[in-house]
Amino acid sequence: MLATLQITLQVAIVATLIDVPLALLLSWLVVKKRIRGAFLLDILASLPLAVPPVVVGYALLLLFGRNGPLGRLLDAALGWEVVFTWFAAALAAAIVSFPLAARAIMVAMEGVDERLERAARSLGAGPVRVAFTVTLPLAYRGILAGALLGFVRAVSEFGATIVVAGNIPGKTQTLPLAIYHNVQLGRDDHALTLVAISIALAVATLAIHNLLLARSNR
Amino acid sequence: MSPFISFNIQKRFPNFTLDCAAEFSNGATAVFGPSGSGKTTLLDSIAGMTSPDAGRIVVGDTPVFSTDERIDLPPERRRFGYVFQRGALFPHMTVRQNVLYGYKLTPPESRRLDPENVCALLGVERLMDRRVTNLSGGERQRVALARALASSPRLLLLDEPVASLDAASRATIITYLKRVSDRLHTPMVFVSHSLSEVMALAPYTLALRDGSAVTHGPTAEVMAHPGVAAFADYSTLENILEARITGADTTTGTSTLRVGDIELIGPALDTSNNLAPPISVGDRVTLSIRAGDIILSLGAPPMMSARNAIPATIRNLRDAGGRALVYFDIGANLVAEVTPAAAGELRLTPEMEVHLVIKSNSILIF
Repeated sequence: MLATLQITLQVAIVATLIDVPLALLLSWLVVKKRIRGAFLLDILASLPLAVPPVVVGYALLLLFGRNGPLGRLLDAALGWEVVFTWFAAALAAAIVSFPLAARAIMVAMEGVDERLERAARSLGAGPVRVAFTVTLPLAYRGILAGALLGFVRAVSEFGATIVVAGNIPGKTQTLPLAIYHNVQLGRDDHALTLVAISIALAVATLAIHNLLLARSNR
Repeated sequence: MSPFISFNIQKRFPNFTLDCAAEFSNGATAVFGPSGSGKTTLLDSIAGMTSPDAGRIVVGDTPVFSTDERIDLPPERRRFGYVFQRGALFPHMTVRQNVLYGYKLTPPESRRLDPENVCALLGVERLMDRRVTNLSGGERQRVALARALASSPRLLLLDEPVASLDAASRATIITYLKRVSDRLHTPMVFVSHSLSEVMALAPYTLALRDGSAVTHGPTAEVMAHPGVAAFADYSTLENILEARITGADTTTGTSTLRVGDIELIGPALDTSNNLAPPISVGDRVTLSIRAGDIILSLGAPPMMSARNAIPATIRNLRDAGGRALVYFDIGANLVAEVTPAAAGELRLTPEMEVHLVIKSNSILIF
């Protein structure tokens, strides 16, 4: 059970670490730079929310599988096989949770009054300095809240994970997969303990998330 | 003198086009026009916040924007201070951190203004350790001004700097802006839709309407231009004047006020504003007198209830939108507004001696 919890956290944390920088970049392009094609980029980023997770898993399998283009490349270059590893689970969780994290982070960045950024520019700060001294300090609570939202979604990821990472106890078996496994075997007591753990984890994370958002709106 | 700012720019929007050329001198210039006339777009173009579609903007000797030469300096390299309508102070910083933000980014050799002097001039020294979230509107604007000036800008741009303020703060900020313009020798371009502000602050004005220049030149001439008279609201025109309180008489309930070369009898001090800190003899204050509240009289009126009858020479006379604007120089610019019929009957002409009749209660002290 401890191994399951450890894998779950490892997968969810790595997924979040993949998501946050990408979400910040996307928000900057869509909300601040307002680049051409922002509309399409926005749709693309939200797509994993709209398709069944199993589709995401299947797409990853096709890409990273033994005969997939990326899978073959990684195997040839590094001798590294991604599918059916914990990293594949993290990748699947990252993609499925990305829209949630990205949307929240976009809202947080959009909430920073553009006039403040422009004032900073007029005072001699370049775009990078403005980002680090004005935008991020004002948006960090919303950004953290978005990261946590992505994190809870990554913890509960099931559909994509089982396709691309399988359900290997001690290796790729996360909490939801373990619950499924125990239910299949009729081990209700095990299943219910895991359910309690996952609910506790979700409640704790959501509580912090809500607290952060309440403070950022003050 | 060669112009300090010259520009000729075009920018197209779906239902609006800014197409404007003008030259501004070294002092304070107003960009005056109704809302939607392109004032802010023009200011943003000078600041580098918006890129025109075509044209050229030169400030000092440097082109900051030119489509022909492929120049478009980002705002941080133009070094123009920008003051927004509601201050746009950084809410996560104290007043001091706000003021020093730009100062720290200014190369030492370009630091022309000392932040302490700037803060003293604007009266924000005692606010330095406050959080900006609990400042009043007027205080915010003063801090915003101090922040912009502490970065020693080559040019100060102000977008409706007093539009969101109450009458008292508005008058005070205008006085502070005058001080900045007079003492810090920082050229200034400010956007306004208020004639009174323009008149109080800027010797030179560009009038904009529907994205193009109606006229530009000395403020008094611009204000009387028929194209400007078509949209300007003269009925609210007020004189905003810097004054010093020279006396207060509690028995008669009046005060005496020194404005330029003249002395006015004003209202009792305590009645003007309950919210502001108390003012007393010796203080520098800002006065507001509606142009329409000034009565002109040929010869000194013998007996009357109004407390002030001040001899003055008409400097200029303009017809503006069915009203006669009569300009005086009393050591400060003053404008009175009378009906054209009255102006005709009194045969008002420049260089004529008249008396300005002003009720003490028509004078607001801020």
